[in-house]
Amino acid sequence: MKQMETAIEVKDLTKKYGNFVAVDHINFTINKGEIFSLLGPNGAGKTTTIGMLSTIKRPTEGDAYILGYSIVKQKYYVRKIIGVSPQDLTADDELSGYENVLIMAKLFGYKGKEAEDRSEWALKFMDLWDSAFRRVREYSGGMRRRLEIAMSIVHNPSVIFLDEPTVGLDVQSRRHIWELVRELKKNGTTVLLTTHYMEEAEALSDRVAIIDHGKIIAIGTPDELKAKIKGDRIYILVKENDQLNEIINKINDIIPNSAIKIDNQILVKTESSSELLPQLIKILSGYDVVELKVVKPNLEEVFLELTGRELREEEGGFDRFKYMRVTRGARR
Amino acid sequence: MIQEVYTLTIRELKKWLSRRGTFVVSLITPLFWLGLFGKSLNFAQMFAPTNIPPQYSSLISKYVDQQLLNLFGTTSYFTYLASGMLVVFGFFQSVFGGTNLVFEKRLGYLNRLLMTPTPRSGIFLSKVFGTLIRILFYETVLILIAWGLGIKFKPGLTVVNILLAGIAIIFVAIGFVSIFAAIAFNVDNVEIMFAIVNLINLPLMFASSALFPLKQMPSWLQEVAKFNPITYAADIVRYNLVGTPISNYLLSWIILIVISITLFVIGMLVSINAMEKA
Ligand SMILES: Nc1ncnc2c1ncn2[C@@H]1O[C@H](COP(=O)(O)OP(=O)(O)OP(=O)(O)O)[C@@H](O)[C@H]1O
Ligand SMILES: [Mg+2]
Repeated sequence: MKQMETAIEVKDLTKKYGNFVAVDHINFTINKGEIFSLLGPNGAGKTTTIGMLSTIKRPTEGDAYILGYSIVKQKYYVRKIIGVSPQDLTADDELSGYENVLIMAKLFGYKGKEAEDRSEWALKFMDLWDSAFRRVREYSGGMRRRLEIAMSIVHNPSVIFLDEPTVGLDVQSRRHIWELVRELKKNGTTVLLTTHYMEEAEALSDRVAIIDHGKIIAIGTPDELKAKIKGDRIYILVKENDQLNEIINKINDIIPNSAIKIDNQILVKTESSSELLPQLIKILSGYDVVELKVVKPNLEEVFLELTGRELREEEGGFDRFKYMRVTRGARR
Repeated sequence: MIQEVYTLTIRELKKWLSRRGTFVVSLITPLFWLGLFGKSLNFAQMFAPTNIPPQYSSLISKYVDQQLLNLFGTTSYFTYLASGMLVVFGFFQSVFGGTNLVFEKRLGYLNRLLMTPTPRSGIFLSKVFGTLIRILFYETVLILIAWGLGIKFKPGLTVVNILLAGIAIIFVAIGFVSIFAAIAFNVDNVEIMFAIVNLINLPLMFASSALFPLKQMPSWLQEVAKFNPITYAADIVRYNLVGTPISNYLLSWIILIVISITLFVIGMLVSINAMEKA
């Protein structure tokens, strides 16, 4: 295996808002050319981390190095080599996609024809050239997301941060963006992306860091993480909630400590679902079962195992302005 | 730095030009003031009793004119108001130019800019330049409208007079766009921003010689007005366009420029500081 070069090195990075610790001494290293995901629920501290790495939020403690440049002491150099596609849409919807990208090219020092060529390349790369001269106001959600990425790759950054690049998109648009992110990797770009979709982290990343309450609780390749939970998970939802404990006891009589209650469901952990299922069905035959679900190990389960909570259970406060921004985009 | 400022200034102007509605809406306020307020406040007629023999009425109107001349430096209040409104309009537009940033911040565009290597001063300067160019355009339109409505320019008005008036307005604008940009950089809430704008705008407009002469004000207000760059700009504009005498022309310029540059420097430093802080 060839020697890995470091693209991003994060050391004890911490951000406090008053007494509240949004990001708590996180450490990780990202290799050049890697796609690395920060996976975590709402409020985990993903955006705050990206904000610090992209030099617009000052860390309370710690530092990070992007290609060796400190995000605290060498902001200017960091800004030159990174591309950022923020969680909130930023494109100016009164201008065309092309104008938006061209402005970025010029702000990164490209002039005249070269700036135009770069913009054309970025828009073509993101499959937006056909709509390049339409006003951003007329773009669909998926197009707007792709435009954000186009704006952040126009200067050919070595490192790109994608903060929830597919939030709120349908499966098709999401896949489309995944394809393009893989293309970026092929070009040698290092990608740090955040997401709270475990499918996304699993489908795209070389490595994943699971972040919760500002702390990184697990880090590794998707396979390494999934190896943390052995066997399958079976979820059982019954109509009468007061029967839950009774069923749990019956299951635990067969395999001790395998069944627990989560929310209003029963979760059964088992080495092999195919062996347990026949017995389970026997037990459940006397009850009104609404749903029975066998889940192969995935990152969602890893998160649940580590935190006892589901990845998507808590939704953050509802900021109407933010909502507008994310759904319809900037509008005056 | 020049390329960045240029790029961002062009962006401002493109946005402005693409919003056809705003253009008309922006001119409504000054037109309203000029047309309704300025034109209908006809002091000469107000003070002229109707049942007076014709031989006296010309005498009275002469007397009223004399009073107006003493008070406003011109016999037409419309002329007085219109020349003042040119400054007030520039002032308002500069305030809005700075205030604008609150939206830019709210909409995430500022964050996008801050993640690029663009010098922070460049982000600030492009706001100032964009606003100034808009103001120059509006002022040109406004002066033509005032002319159409019958403003009495001084005899022998030259292009130099008009340019000097424009420059005085530009100085007022530089000062206020800087200060309001600085405030906007430090305020996140749109409502709070507009509360601040309202708190400052109207008093500043009235505590100046733009709408009424200082002589007519209570002495404490006169003192306030003496620190108000709008006062000096209004005096300079009137001197140049209408020919209203001014007590010390050169001193007015110096005070205007010193206040404006001071506000500009403070505004720029505070803005840059806000951008770096986060
Ligand atoms: N400016 C701020 N002042 C105070 N608290 C903040 C501020 N910004 C973020 N926080 C808090 O810090 C925590 C982390 O927020 P952050 O936006 O980084 O989460 P996230 O992982 O990106 O979540 P999401 O998936 O919703 O985008 C949250 O609890 C949030 O409320
Ligand atoms: Mg976030």
